[in-house]
Amino acid sequence: MTTPSSFTDYSRCLNTFIEHAGRTVPATEEFGALARSLFALQFAAVPDFQRLCVARGVTPGSLADWRDIPAMPTTAFKELELSSLAPAERTTVFHSSGTTEHRPSRHFHNAESLAVYEASLLPWFARHVLPSAGDCKSPARFLCLAPPPTQAPHSSLVHMFAAVSRAFGAPDSRFLATTGADSSWSLDSAAALAALRHAEQCGQPVLLLGTAFMFVHLLDELEQRGLRIVMPAGSRVMETGGYKGRSRELPKAELHALVTARLGVPPESIICEYGMSELSSQAYDRAAGSMSILSPQSSVFSFPPWCRALVVSPETGREVAEGDTGLLRLCDLANVRSVMTIQTEDLAVRRGDGFELLGRAAQTEARGCSLLAA
Amino acid sequence: MNLPNYFLADLPPEADLSPAMITEACLSLKRNRAHYLAVRDTPSVLRTLVRAGDDWLEADYPYRQFALAEGPAHTGFSAQIIATGLDSFFRQLTGENLEALLAQELGTTQRLDAFSASSSDSRTRRLALGTGPELVGHITAGCVPNAAFMAIVLGLLTRSAQFIKCSRGGSFLPRVFLHSLYGSEPKLGACIEMAEWRGGSAALEQALFAQCEAVTATGTDEAVEAVRRVLPPRVRFAGYGHQVSFGYVTRESLTSWRAKKIVAAAATDVVAWDQLGCLSPHVFYVEDNATGLALQFAEQLADELARREAAEPRGKVSTETAAHIAARRAIYEVRAAHAPDQTRHWCSRDSTAWTVVYEAEPRFALSCLNRFIYVKPVLDVAEALRGADPVRDHTSTVGLAAQEHELEGLAKQFARWGATRLCPLGQMQNPPLTWRHDGRPLMGDLVRWTDWEQ
Repeated sequence: MTTPSSFTDYSRCLNTFIEHAGRTVPATEEFGALARSLFALQFAAVPDFQRLCVARGVTPGSLADWRDIPAMPTTAFKELELSSLAPAERTTVFHSSGTTEHRPSRHFHNAESLAVYEASLLPWFARHVLPSAGDCKSPARFLCLAPPPTQAPHSSLVHMFAAVSRAFGAPDSRFLATTGADSSWSLDSAAALAALRHAEQCGQPVLLLGTAFMFVHLLDELEQRGLRIVMPAGSRVMETGGYKGRSRELPKAELHALVTARLGVPPESIICEYGMSELSSQAYDRAAGSMSILSPQSSVFSFPPWCRALVVSPETGREVAEGDTGLLRLCDLANVRSVMTIQTEDLAVRRGDGFELLGRAAQTEARGCSLLAA
Repeated sequence: MNLPNYFLADLPPEADLSPAMITEACLSLKRNRAHYLAVRDTPSVLRTLVRAGDDWLEADYPYRQFALAEGPAHTGFSAQIIATGLDSFFRQLTGENLEALLAQELGTTQRLDAFSASSSDSRTRRLALGTGPELVGHITAGCVPNAAFMAIVLGLLTRSAQFIKCSRGGSFLPRVFLHSLYGSEPKLGACIEMAEWRGGSAALEQALFAQCEAVTATGTDEAVEAVRRVLPPRVRFAGYGHQVSFGYVTRESLTSWRAKKIVAAAATDVVAWDQLGCLSPHVFYVEDNATGLALQFAEQLADELARREAAEPRGKVSTETAAHIAARRAIYEVRAAHAPDQTRHWCSRDSTAWTVVYEAEPRFALSCLNRFIYVKPVLDVAEALRGADPVRDHTSTVGLAAQEHELEGLAKQFARWGATRLCPLGQMQNPPLTWRHDGRPLMGDLVRWTDWEQ
């Protein structure tokens, strides 16, 4: 591989990598080479990233291993414009979610970087969430428990739902929530119940996609009305994200048990997704139809081969041993126009190439303390 | 050495406490108090306390050795930090200090033994006798033992039976202290009970409060308020909510020959109890007229903290706490790279043991503690006080480093602003026995007076 000299060149190389990754297990060297090229490009084009790298003494010339690429904390996306796109080139910006956040993270995109985003999203989504080709006669109807893109233009999750619906869903796939004046999401219960009833009657499998809190709203609605609407065989549920104070919180096992009880979707057809606005790739905890490797309460997430997860010790910053707990750090080759290595505040257990998610470390924003807010 | 199962807190963690057990414990405390404690006079209680203080300062005192050997595993503090903390407290437990405490709080030292007159009583031709509550309940929080130690001392002085409730995992050092009292005077030990349970366990707390004449509580504002809300009417209450502290260093003091000593004193305040007490500083405000003095102070403080780590290592912290520190450091690293004139940071290598953040922004910052300290340059006191305004109602101690002639003016400004304790830098986590906790009387909330008009 020749060294890409521009982001466009690099994106082309990455696309080839992604295509090959579907067929063969890609070599570690290939990942390393791409990471090195992207690092050089971002080092040159994202000034705040360069400053961090220089402060750490890591430059494209000195980089020994992709694991040494400085990780940008997610919090930095709130304070700095971490993008190689000039303001005029930016067509889309994704914000971190959460009604409690005064300042969201911002991840800027243009058409080319969104195309990479989708090239990363679609194959890994298809492999984990879509039914296997054999038992799929016609595409499932996608029911997204989220507002449509026009009402949530800054949600990477809504963008993702729209992209997968467009690529894999039946034409009558739809969004079943609205955005309120305070930009919170509310479920359109009437439309959701009608869509579920329709599915039950016509026997066509559906894919329900949503955040945990939207599923809680839907399940509460069903419970209040004493309803059980059984989704046709082959239906799936993809659940993602936390609660952020927007509904009562349910332990995951309980939420999934309720999905099975109220919607008739069996546990092996409920898939959890892990993603964030600062990334361009997603992790899933199982391929639909397979059982989790661990217990129902915890599961192992895997990113695609072009995004590597590291669990690092908060004490030393180095990778922890298998089975140990640390902070999740992600090196996403599809994060082309921002920064590639992201330091999350999520605690995780290292499990092979994947990770078991334990949840967010305590609120760490430097001035976010309740005492000062009071 | 093995501690016998004498207190409820000695039971294994899995042992379930029931409200009936709490009630039963309170009733025996009151019986024992009537027999063994109510009949004691002040001089005899002082003798006991002074002996306990002397014993605990002896290097070969078995209870001290036990606390230092087992303490790190139970409390998360290193043995060196526990030793320093114990020394600071028990050094205060002298006859002179205890008498000064009684005189400060009650007017004279005999007021709990016989009708007597303070000078103002004499002018109004009265005698008065103080009586302590029959049973005091103490709800303590956190892992720094001083609040529980002090509660025990005050309770003994007022001849009250005591039930001390510690937070989960917070009882170890107070428990060893109680065992030491029990070891030397079993009858006195029989007047104090200690238990651990998760705060807000309503049934247990109701059972306790129903038996108490007075209750004290330390903890978060919410926890203190929650205790106050459920107390039966007529139970006297002293609540101590969440407090923060900071230091203030003048330009003159830093340019004097004392500069090095001031940095060492600042480090002492950060290192004491690993910065986990409410008297520990979150921020050092340093007077800096664009001279770079604060930056220099921060750098020297980092060097000093590195030295202290070798001699008095910080305790082990949980992965969550380490993650919290790592995440904070990460954002300051980015800010420092982005605008080095506004933010700088110094960190221990390959550990979260200590962190110094220099931030030009004067607004008060809450530290995540465990030896994570902010240094902020300010023009003068007024700027520091504006910066600290968000914690004005929550400020306990201001540690001061200033030249002699500056002190009085500074002290007045901080006092009027609302700080309840001023002390030299280096003494923040080491208040005297007579310290008026949160600016309130220490025994006034406990003692009931009988006035006798002549």
